Amino acid sequence: MSGSPQGKDASAKMTLLQVDRLTKHFGGLAAVQDVSFHVDTREIVSLIGPNGAGKTTIFNLISGVYRPNSGDIRFGGESIAGLRPFGICRKGVGRTFQIMQPFPKMTVLENVVTSALFGRVPKISMKEAADEAADLCRMVGLGDKLGESPKNLTIPDQKRIEIARALAVHPKLLLLDEVMSGLTPTETGEAIKLVLKLREFGTTILLIEHVMKVVMGISDRVIVLHHGEKISEGPPSRVVDDPKVIEAYLGKQADGEGDTTC
Amino acid sequence: MDWPSFFQSIANGILIAGLYASVTLGLTLVLGVMGIVNFAHGELVMLGAYNTFWLFTMLGIDPLLSIAITAPLLFLVGIFVYRFTIRPILKDPPLNQLLLTLGLSIFLQNLAMILWKTDSRSVITSYSGMSLHLGMVHVGATRLITFVISVVLTALLIVFLHKMRLGKAMRAVSENNTGSWLVGINVQKTYMLAFGVACALAAVSGSLVSTIMYTNPMVGFKLSLKAFCILILGGLGNISGALLGSLILGLTESFVGTYVPEGSGWAEGISFFLIIVVLIIKPTGLAGTRRE
Amino acid sequence: MGSSIRWKTTLPLAILCACLLLFPKLVGSYFLHMAVSAILAMILASSWDILARTGQVSVGQAGLFGIGAYSSALLYQKYALPPVLGMLASALIATVVSIFLGYLTLRLRGIYFSITTIAFAEALTVIWLMTPDVTGGAMGVSTPPLFGGDREKAYYLILAILAAVVAVVRLIEQSRLNFAFTAIRENEDVANVLGINPTKYKVLAFMISAFFTGFAGGFYSHYNTYIIPYEVFNLGISIACLVMPIFGGLYTIAGPIIGTVLIKAIEEYLRVTFSYGHQIAYGLILVLVVLFMPEGLLGLWRGKILPLLRSRPGR
Repeated sequence: MSGSPQGKDASAKMTLLQVDRLTKHFGGLAAVQDVSFHVDTREIVSLIGPNGAGKTTIFNLISGVYRPNSGDIRFGGESIAGLRPFGICRKGVGRTFQIMQPFPKMTVLENVVTSALFGRVPKISMKEAADEAADLCRMVGLGDKLGESPKNLTIPDQKRIEIARALAVHPKLLLLDEVMSGLTPTETGEAIKLVLKLREFGTTILLIEHVMKVVMGISDRVIVLHHGEKISEGPPSRVVDDPKVIEAYLGKQADGEGDTTC
Repeated sequence: MDWPSFFQSIANGILIAGLYASVTLGLTLVLGVMGIVNFAHGELVMLGAYNTFWLFTMLGIDPLLSIAITAPLLFLVGIFVYRFTIRPILKDPPLNQLLLTLGLSIFLQNLAMILWKTDSRSVITSYSGMSLHLGMVHVGATRLITFVISVVLTALLIVFLHKMRLGKAMRAVSENNTGSWLVGINVQKTYMLAFGVACALAAVSGSLVSTIMYTNPMVGFKLSLKAFCILILGGLGNISGALLGSLILGLTESFVGTYVPEGSGWAEGISFFLIIVVLIIKPTGLAGTRRE
Repeated sequence: MGSSIRWKTTLPLAILCACLLLFPKLVGSYFLHMAVSAILAMILASSWDILARTGQVSVGQAGLFGIGAYSSALLYQKYALPPVLGMLASALIATVVSIFLGYLTLRLRGIYFSITTIAFAEALTVIWLMTPDVTGGAMGVSTPPLFGGDREKAYYLILAILAAVVAVVRLIEQSRLNFAFTAIRENEDVANVLGINPTKYKVLAFMISAFFTGFAGGFYSHYNTYIIPYEVFNLGISIACLVMPIFGGLYTIAGPIIGTVLIKAIEEYLRVTFSYGHQIAYGLILVLVVLFMPEGLLGLWRGKILPLLRSRPGR
């Protein structure tokens, strides 16, 4: 993991991720409009909002899957907007996918070895990658399933593969896309512990989440998106009382919009 | 400036574009409705051409009239092919679909070689040699008729897709599979009929091909590549794109043929060069449909 | 336990190697020619499979094959370059071409790439026909028989190249390249996000594939003594290159080889029966494989037949 636990010093907070006026259109439709926010080192920030608000699009923009139409993304002080995904990964950004996409013909271990081999700078040997991948799998709870094929695994286990794969690149910034949904209370508790442990080791975490308990419980800050725009930002307690946020969620319920594209 | 040559080039380009468009229509229909690139489409054209040739040679039926026989025949062949080879792979990854239709293509090419040998056949009618004078320009009778029929065919297809129930169903299915199913359209049957219609279109263009070009087992392959070129130029799965692409290809071939030294040899390669150049510049084709 | 397992794999392999080495002494010229032909095809099939491991389906391998064939033949004709050096030159020239072609076209996904490869091989045919002063045009290029017509030497040479291909593929399978290729093939976007540069690895696979394809082309031009554009850039070659691995089992070492043996056998039978159109088998096999056994023969063996054998009573 990146470094040992450091002493918490409020004045030493550094901005790791800076998103400035980010905009992305798809054929006339603005998925993300003029969004700005920042994430400081070792913060846990949650990105929330009704379905279709643009959350996964933001993740895709940060990780390089999409190029922004305008605006900038700065990681560790460097602009990464428009860089290709593998380059951004090597700079220290790891992510999971909302719809799990493990490599189907590889075993669980091989899935994690893949990102360990290629996402790290400098590159490590195959033996090191295998060892580390096995450790990561054990850490997320897949220790006894290393040789399994992903298609035989449950949804929570597939999520674990996603997380282990993302961790194998030793990310400074970890983007977690709805990893908590569909978990039992026990599993949710374990996942929360894992996220907090990662922060202890120095990883900064940006989460997309719908599970409010998690959002409230572990976020330092919450950012709320609606129709591609940022409508609120702040500590969880403040955001949850924000009338704009309440209206966005209640309004969505009344409309009954069920578009699952983020 | 040699105006007669210039206008002749334009005329030739437009005329051949008509033929190319007719070949591409069926390919566009299948691609638009079910999202499959049918590599064997050219072979269906080839079968149409052979069909016309044999009807003409054995029974003396005029090639353009024989469309009345060839089209329904290939429609049925299309239904058969769809049922047994296309339907099973509708949900497969595109590369599987490519391999299957490629396999069909190779199969049909070689079947034609076995049945009818590799010699090139011609269909020479009483009017084959005639040509008309339109101003400065000479226009071969068969080419003109072919062009007219192509235009009519395209118009009929557009009317079919917009005014007739089955055609509208095909458009609905191409845009939204689930939605169509929800309103009661039998998606499977629509696919099947679309494929059949595409084969019938191939048959018609095959008849036209037999009058203007030589008929041989490989003629379908060459036309397939031109059709792919047209798709890439004009946008996948829409008719106006196919027409535009056909014009671009036809005119380019014609002008290269006239103005480049030894142009007729180079003109053969235009479709290949265009495919490579266009895709290198714009990896999704000129009118591409990718998000990014 | 350990040593008995080694016996199981080493002994058959050793017997196989011995057979392969003794083969020319045991058979006549016709079968030797067939063997050379088959081994050449195995090299092409295995080379195709290398690129296929990155998910790129080339339908234009004949383009690189023909470039290899003409490189060697023309270098001999113009500079009297000895054939074996010519073949090496072919391999290198084909590799260089593949770098350019690769960077330009490997960004293309799925069928766009495949269509471009077809266009590439056909475009080469046109270029060749239109530049007879440089390339010999439709009249082709002749070279004297390889090794003075000694088919045994030709056999050993081509066998050595096949061994090289197999060794390279084995190395790939045991290296991190295997992970990169497989990840790109299974999900290029995810591979990208995990730090793999897809284009770089696709081009690498293309280069390795091109090297051996080019060599094979060079060998063919000298072995066959005469090449023409229609023949060496022919779609039929490209199709053969892909049918053999697909039939035998993709992304394996044994698959392309087994597929080649069977297809060559079928082809030979059909060639005797019909003078044209024997490639009808290719078409039929492609259709049947996609519909009924997408994993190829090896997949059929592993998936259906082996379990049956294992579950026999008394085991």
